[in-house]
Amino acid sequence: MTKFIKPLKLKPKLLGQKQEQDKPPVNQTENAGLSGAAWKDEVLGQDLEANLRQIKAILNKCSDVIYREFIFAQNEAIRLALIYTDGLVDKAQISEQIMRALALEVPQVVPGLELTKAQALEFIKQRGLCIHQVKESNRLQDLILAILSGDTVLLVDGHATAIINGARGFEARAISEPEAEPTVRGPREAFVESLGVNTSLIRRKIKSPNLKIETLRLGEVSGTDVAIIYVEGIVNDKLVTEVKSRLERIKIDAILESGYIEELIEDGPWSPFPTVNHTEKPDRAAAMLLEGRAVILVDGTPFVLTVPMLFFESLQASEDYYERFLFTSAIRLVRFLAMVTSLVLPGLYISLVSFNHELLPTTLLLSIAAQREAVPYPVLIEVLAMEFAFEVLREAGIRLPRPIGQAVSIVGALVVGEAAVQAGMVAPATVIVVALTGISSFVVAYSTSITFRLLRFILIILSGTLGLVGLITGVAMIGIHLCTLRSFGVPYLSPLVPTTAVDLKDTFFRAPWWAMFSRPRLAVRQGQKKQAQDLKPTPPETGP
Amino acid sequence: MEQGKIDSNQAFLLMLSTVLPTAILTVPDVAVKFAKQDAWISLVIATLVAMAIAVLIVNLSLRFPEKTLFVYPEEILGKVSGKIVIGLYVWWYLQLGSATIREFSFFLVTVSMPDTPMIVFSIIIVVVSAYAVYNGLEVLSRFNQLFIPVTGLLVIVFLLSTKDMKLTRLLPLFDTNMSSVLKGAVTPTMWLAEIVTIGVIIPYLNKPKEAYRVVVLATLTNGFLLTASVLEALLIFAPHLTADWLYPIYNAVRVVSIAHIVERLESVILVLWLIGGFVKLGVFYYAAVLGSAQWLGLKDYRSLVVPLGVILVALSYLLYGNNIVDLLDYFAEAWVPFDLLVLEVGIPLALLSIALIRGKGGKKG
Repeated sequence: MTKFIKPLKLKPKLLGQKQEQDKPPVNQTENAGLSGAAWKDEVLGQDLEANLRQIKAILNKCSDVIYREFIFAQNEAIRLALIYTDGLVDKAQISEQIMRALALEVPQVVPGLELTKAQALEFIKQRGLCIHQVKESNRLQDLILAILSGDTVLLVDGHATAIINGARGFEARAISEPEAEPTVRGPREAFVESLGVNTSLIRRKIKSPNLKIETLRLGEVSGTDVAIIYVEGIVNDKLVTEVKSRLERIKIDAILESGYIEELIEDGPWSPFPTVNHTEKPDRAAAMLLEGRAVILVDGTPFVLTVPMLFFESLQASEDYYERFLFTSAIRLVRFLAMVTSLVLPGLYISLVSFNHELLPTTLLLSIAAQREAVPYPVLIEVLAMEFAFEVLREAGIRLPRPIGQAVSIVGALVVGEAAVQAGMVAPATVIVVALTGISSFVVAYSTSITFRLLRFILIILSGTLGLVGLITGVAMIGIHLCTLRSFGVPYLSPLVPTTAVDLKDTFFRAPWWAMFSRPRLAVRQGQKKQAQDLKPTPPETGP
Repeated sequence: MEQGKIDSNQAFLLMLSTVLPTAILTVPDVAVKFAKQDAWISLVIATLVAMAIAVLIVNLSLRFPEKTLFVYPEEILGKVSGKIVIGLYVWWYLQLGSATIREFSFFLVTVSMPDTPMIVFSIIIVVVSAYAVYNGLEVLSRFNQLFIPVTGLLVIVFLLSTKDMKLTRLLPLFDTNMSSVLKGAVTPTMWLAEIVTIGVIIPYLNKPKEAYRVVVLATLTNGFLLTASVLEALLIFAPHLTADWLYPIYNAVRVVSIAHIVERLESVILVLWLIGGFVKLGVFYYAAVLGSAQWLGLKDYRSLVVPLGVILVALSYLLYGNNIVDLLDYFAEAWVPFDLLVLEVGIPLALLSIALIRGKGGKKG
């Protein structure tokens, strides 16, 4: 029995490494990571058998790794071995373009070929393999990483160098519509979990050699591919350097979602406000790039990070730039009001009802007083309870399996709201306020709206204790906090504060496209023109 | 010590918030008490005098564009007397800060929540300002910039009350004698000359040379808004009623009623003033903290934020008596000689003369 329990206990320490139970426990990431392993700096030898043995020892008990030994061009002297991971490779490609090509087709095309062992590697690379992407390496670390990433490693007997074939092919989700950022007008594609597909989605939008895609690998155990994308010439070089240095600082065992990176590189680690934005829409990512931002893609998640983030991004939707500007500007205003509502409305309601009655019109005051007559609790408790109920319903709506989720939340809201009012536990006005607040919070970008959800409770408590004075104190504190925030060197509230008048063109309203001459000042190099000055359509007076 | 830089716009807006929030509450009452319906003339005179003071202090400060008001007196006067002068200024800012706390606490207790202990409001104001001060001048001016449009709603409210105004209430013109008009001008001058604070922020302007423009525009705007508030009170309530009220402007806003929809605006105004108060206290608090740090030769002022906050609250209870009338008397009697004559005019003038004679500080930068 103990035999089975013991390895379980030690499992975290043993990941990806030979079982050495006697070794004293070291720092987990170092012990388990690829870069910290004992074989880190080792290289291949000449002997195929020895090489295979070494790799097998490292990939001990990895049943998904497949070793396939075969003979080159029916020549018994030259032995080859393929190593790849089941499920991560394109099997058809491996059997056709590697095995079949090397073992069968070479003798057909070049009959009577007499190769020595020493010539084999070069011949295979130049003439034998029919694979797009081929690399060479002799470092075990590279090879192991390649195998586990889905590449196919080809060992040739007598050579201390292995060929890494890029023949990846694994099951991935197809490109689909964005779930978190739906739009009425605009591209309907969203990023997927595969990094390669995601970079291609961006490349398809910006076909410029200045679009740079740099990759690095993060996560000692997970070895996650991360790409930094920016447009050279638009982006501020300092930003790219800063992003890279912040990413390189990350020493963690695994990166499973871009949220890990977000929390590890953001400017205000304790702030409730997000200082790194994310999106799942390639068109939005491309727009960010063209405004001089850097985009960070993480393999395994459709959410890409964009930096720096400005507060006003939470009021902007990608659709704003596709609809006509007058309507968009009006909608921006609505969003702004909704944002303010979602933050202060419950607090304001409490202040007005329990402290500053004089601000309410008399008829409204009487009607609220009549409603609250039967309610046993002070308005503060009432609002807190209703807000709590609303948060529970909202969370249940997300967590529950999709088919029941919505039904439950709707029924829950109806039953709880309706029944609570009927039973005289809450005033109808409170239900209205809480519902309006909840709906308003859906209007702003999700990452900011959850911040406001949190801050709302603080404002509720402040208003419940000090009325309007408390509410304003809370709002002022939030205001000061926003003023202290920066995201990658850019003040969070810019271009509003500090004011850059030209850049206000895309904040509370959106200027028409023909008037957006310059790129935003703060993120890019100074004074960049982005388009011609005379784009305003001037149709001729008479028809054609 | 202070890393941030602010631009001229921010400095201008900061100078508005340095003077206006409390001035607009109490100045009409004081000015009208002396000068009756000619109080607006007092305000015009006050603006002109304050302008001269502002130009004086900027001229002095620009001789030492990298140094604050808390550093260059030492260079001009030498170590010992320099330190004494700097100490006086630090004390002045402590006093101004605590007076701001007191005024706002009184105001909130009187008009909004009479049953709440006053200390609650004092602490709230100090805590909010301390948060801004701790984060430095840059954050303070950004915070001001963020909320000053809201305070600007005040101007709109002024306009809303035009229908209750009667121009005849200003008559007879020049009925009071010159000395009353001048007496009425003294307290507003003291308030407007709080713009001396520019001497603290000039080193942190990204274009120090624009300081002249900043103070002239700021004094004009301050003077204009104060004159407007006095006129507003006079036109609505006439001199006697205005002089009887502690907060004439607050009452002026109370009478606004348009179609029974836009009315009862006074609580809104109260709240907007509160934000102004955060900034105003923030400026003096910041000056006191920065001044003490430079006076004591500290490397960083942040360690002083909390202790000075406590001192400010304590002073606000020790210095100004038990009620708002005591406070206003204190302003009118104890403050004027010390503040206006010594700190706002006397010392800067003396410093400038000595600097000129000794040839200290050039027009460099």
